[in-house]
Amino acid sequence: MKRRLFEKIAFSIFTAVMAVSLLSLVLYLDLKDELPQLPDSLEKINLSLPTEIYSSEGNVIKVLGQRHPVPLDEISPRFTQAMIATEDSRFYSHNGVDHIALARAMVRNLQSMRISQGGSTITQQLSKNLFFSFERKWIRKLKELLIALQMEATFTKDEILEAYCNQVYFGSGAYGVEDASLVYFGKRAKDLTLLQAALLAGLPNSPNSANPFNNFERAMNRTRTVLKRMVRSNFISPIQMEEALETDLELVLRRLQSNPNQYFLQFVIDKLEKEYGKEFVHFGGLKIFTTLDTRLQQYAQQAVTTHMKVLDRRMRPGEDGERLQAAVVALENKTGAIRVLLGGRDFAQSQFNRAVSNNRMAGSSFKPIVYLSAMETLGISPATLMRDEPVVLEISPGKTWEPKNFNETYYGDLVLKRALMKSLNVISAKLVYDITPERVIKTARQMGITSDLGPHLSLALGATGVSPLEMAGAYSVIANLGILNEPYVVERIEDFRGNTLYEHFYFGVQRFSQKSIYPLLDMMRGVVEEGTGSGIRRMGFRHPAGGKTGTTNDYKDAWFDGFTKDISASVWVGYDSNVSMIDRQGRGLTGGSAAAPIWAYFMKKGLQGKSQVNFPVPEGIRFAEIDEETGFIANLSTRKKIRVAIKNEVVLTLPPSTDSVQGFFPSIDPIIPNPQNIEEDVLPEL
Amino acid sequence: MNKPGILGNLNGIVFFVALLAIFSLEIFGKVVERGVGNYLKWENHTRPQLGRIWERDREKIVAQKKIESILTRLNTQEQSSESIQSFKELFEKLHPSVPQMVSRKKFLQLYFEFPEHLAQKVVSPYELLEIDSNRDWQRVLLTQFGEWITISFINNQNFPIREVFLSSEGMGENSLSQDIFQGTLEEAGFGATSILPFADFMRVMKTLGYDAQKNLFPDPQWFFKKNYHVSRVGIKEEVDSDVYPPPVKLGVEYQGDFYTEVLILPVPALISDNLLSQIEIPVQDDSLEAVSPFGDYQGDLN
Repeated sequence: MKRRLFEKIAFSIFTAVMAVSLLSLVLYLDLKDELPQLPDSLEKINLSLPTEIYSSEGNVIKVLGQRHPVPLDEISPRFTQAMIATEDSRFYSHNGVDHIALARAMVRNLQSMRISQGGSTITQQLSKNLFFSFERKWIRKLKELLIALQMEATFTKDEILEAYCNQVYFGSGAYGVEDASLVYFGKRAKDLTLLQAALLAGLPNSPNSANPFNNFERAMNRTRTVLKRMVRSNFISPIQMEEALETDLELVLRRLQSNPNQYFLQFVIDKLEKEYGKEFVHFGGLKIFTTLDTRLQQYAQQAVTTHMKVLDRRMRPGEDGERLQAAVVALENKTGAIRVLLGGRDFAQSQFNRAVSNNRMAGSSFKPIVYLSAMETLGISPATLMRDEPVVLEISPGKTWEPKNFNETYYGDLVLKRALMKSLNVISAKLVYDITPERVIKTARQMGITSDLGPHLSLALGATGVSPLEMAGAYSVIANLGILNEPYVVERIEDFRGNTLYEHFYFGVQRFSQKSIYPLLDMMRGVVEEGTGSGIRRMGFRHPAGGKTGTTNDYKDAWFDGFTKDISASVWVGYDSNVSMIDRQGRGLTGGSAAAPIWAYFMKKGLQGKSQVNFPVPEGIRFAEIDEETGFIANLSTRKKIRVAIKNEVVLTLPPSTDSVQGFFPSIDPIIPNPQNIEEDVLPEL
Repeated sequence: MNKPGILGNLNGIVFFVALLAIFSLEIFGKVVERGVGNYLKWENHTRPQLGRIWERDREKIVAQKKIESILTRLNTQEQSSESIQSFKELFEKLHPSVPQMVSRKKFLQLYFEFPEHLAQKVVSPYELLEIDSNRDWQRVLLTQFGEWITISFINNQNFPIREVFLSSEGMGENSLSQDIFQGTLEEAGFGATSILPFADFMRVMKTLGYDAQKNLFPDPQWFFKKNYHVSRVGIKEEVDSDVYPPPVKLGVEYQGDFYTEVLILPVPALISDNLLSQIEIPVQDDSLEAVSPFGDYQGDLN
């Protein structure tokens, strides 16, 4: 009886062993071709040269694919102990498989009928990280296990542990313990304290949710668990654990939130990836020299952050807590170099780059393009008299359009320069009606605008989607007296040996004659001195400048685009959901109140300490003082005078009692700002 | 009932001992893991390079290939620029999609190399001196936008110190028609009746004013500098040209370093009138009897 039982047991064991062996063999033969080859050395994983991105000042502002592999003896032993205690307490005694952990995990998985626990050793995790996807599948687990066994047979324990420490992800973009130590504590991995080592050792398990930058409490709870496991594994005593918990963690400030260059960098990376391929950018070991001026970018970020806080307080709370967004672009006129590109308030919260997206209406900031087209096509000048009154324009037989001024105020007769300074919609609509939208589109293209522009009369009011980058580019053509410099972000790219792979050359193209552009430039200076953009003067910006505000229907977009001799900048403010910007008093935000203060703050800080440079007056231009309500040359009895810049060949007329002359007025009185002509927005102090 | 023999019990014991030994070896010696691991290590080289670690390797290779292709293209462009032999070729190789870049040294070499005044029509030597005076001029970039050619004299920041704008049409019609032909005047398309020895041509030249001489004939210094000896001169009217009146070309044949060469130059319209008034060129029509292109002028033709 005993013998039979004995034989049965023996036979069962034998059968089980044979069955497992056979099954393993069949599985192996099935998986054989899917098992990856192991490299000769695990150091191979860190051989990639990083790509460095530089600012225009020559400082490294971003490193792509950077790893800081360190040998095991340059990693704090506390960290390796913490890692072993947490991830694989029998690391030095198994050969790739921890039977106890595996059996425990199998029981739990069978109980839950899903893979809830891995029971993976450090070797298995390394195998997974180097070769396999992160899908939780039995087959993948088996392959991972086989490769782990091979790794154990090929490399020493220390080599495996070193490779694991150098490639595991710790969250916040940090791969490897050295990188993680720098990101979280600003120190080398060899200098980690017990508490810091325990915190880092707890991160690979949940690098995002237990990240001290995202959830400090959870990170500390995990750290306590790690320390307890270290005590259980006899790496530290309970007293040491308590002492460690008493120490200061010395966590550094999060980099991402305070880095204002992210939008610019992402724009550069996307652009280069599109042009040369992702591999070239991330694995080329390049040096990319960009046009970014980090000082100006910092000022733009400050201006946006400060003014957005003011506006947040002023605004009605949104239904879903949506916050206002802003974008800033600044170009160097002489070269077209993009010195500032800020695509939103905070890259960490929203990566959508509003500075280059062309889905927002330009509003009145598009009007200078309309005026330039009209002056070129109709031969009119800033001194030409226009009539501002309600008008009905026929779009097609039986279909009409009645453009209305802001606040539905009409001024009667006034000259073209004053019309732009007051941003009158009726005048702009009449001009587009006379010259056709196609002519305006042609001018916009000449100024470098590439977005789709519909050939509609509403172009007069800027009812077309453009990007702040395009607007800054178009305005820089005005500041440049007709020369278009294609905006660019990359000066030069070098490989790791210093060979130049790409270099930017300046292709300044004279798109308009200087004397055609200058009258418009002068009109836009009028906007800043006495028109809708005069808020920037009240904020203390004193440099000679031109610009234009823009506010779209129902206050959905607010713009201020402007330029000095050297820099053109465009500022946009609005909601991503394209809802109206209405404050607690029920008033809408305009370009003058929402965007112009950002522009003024940014430009004031950016040009601090720099001398004021005037715009050169080209040959063939003269200045004259005229009556803004009649267009006649001003005389002593003129009530409302305005100074205009006109081409020499423009004939000005004396009031009816005198003869027609080509007046030349060498000395002009300074312009006195007229507060009546300023938009009634309250400009908050920054 | 048969009792099992010692042998039967021994089999069972051996079997159990063997099993126990295997389990012990696995528990204490990890034989299965070691065995599988070593087997996989042994046949490692037969397996494919799959997975993230190899993918990264491939990405690095792709990146390196891209870099190499860019460098090759740039080197080819540089070599192509360096191989340019004349100012004319510099413009000929220019296309709207292919800008030309030459070093300052190369530009100056070409500028002073060609014996005509083309280079000096583009930019005067005094202007070049001025551009060079700030010691910042590094390279010259030629670009074409439509019919316009821009010559940018750029510094080490790639910023243009000076830009010169030219009409490509104007360049093509006038100055760029200068050329050096390897061969004789006859091979260059000059009719036998329109060729005369240099000494005879000089007699006609002497009848022209100083400015006309200068505009018609290349700077003699070029021939002296290169030790070239002028032998004959030919004149031909480009009757196939679309332009009216047809342009007139002057061919100066000389003995070059290795070959006989002909320097072909356009004759400015005003000078050609003057020249042709003294030298009658027959219409190149085979049906007509050849007439001396030099009309009544007899000189040393016989």
